[in-house]
Amino acid sequence: MPCPEAPGLITVRLFAGLRERAGWSERAVAIGTGQPRPTAADLWCRLGLGDGTGKPEGSLPGALRIAINQTFAHADQELEAGDELAFLPPISGG
Amino acid sequence: MAAGLAMRVRLQPEGLVPLTALAVWQRHLLQNPPHALPPAEALFIGRVRSTTASGTPLQALELEHYPGMTEAQIERLALAVAARHGLAQVLVEHRVGRVLPGEAIVLVAVGADRRGPAQRGCLELLEGLKHDAPFWKREWSGGVGRWVEGNTPLSRVQESL
Repeated sequence: MPCPEAPGLITVRLFAGLRERAGWSERAVAIGTGQPRPTAADLWCRLGLGDGTGKPEGSLPGALRIAINQTFAHADQELEAGDELAFLPPISGG
Repeated sequence: MAAGLAMRVRLQPEGLVPLTALAVWQRHLLQNPPHALPPAEALFIGRVRSTTASGTPLQALELEHYPGMTEAQIERLALAVAARHGLAQVLVEHRVGRVLPGEAIVLVAVGADRRGPAQRGCLELLEGLKHDAPFWKREWSGGVGRWVEGNTPLSRVQESL
């Protein structure tokens, strides 16, 4: 039986220019049970992913999009242990 | 999937030959009744330009995607467009990896009962691919790579004509 106090993990993924600027593509982030559930904006701040544009701490760049479990999501959606969170720079397909 | 809708979404790490891909798709439809060739079919083939957005010679385009999400998102877009326009068939083939100038990067083929839904559905799905499917382009020119930040809005393209 899992320990109720054990932290859960959220997988964070970065792509394209954002990945290269951060220097990593995937990271497991621990979230404590019993703590408020973090949002994408919280993890953006915690992981120091700001782009140095002087935006307030924790504020996401306007063009950035969020995916949770491979589906587009709002930055203020609360995350759960086991989720896969991706920060997506501006898309350029087609 | 909507009843009667035939859909194929493929990401191609190797060369995409649009008319061959289209012939394979049409053969598949003919061999799998009740699917058939549609009364109206709209196609879009996109190829890589020879210059970058800033006008310098392009060596190659590199296409990154989000494995799993990109395919799923294209399917979601295709299903929504098919439902809105009453489409019977949707084919999307999109390159990933390194693509050279002149090579095909995307094929969209949409089948419907009439030209209006086919053409509108094809345009709408292509715009979805450009703005709402997780792909990222990097232009290589002079040995330097530069990530492309977003796509040109369709309205701006129309204004420049």
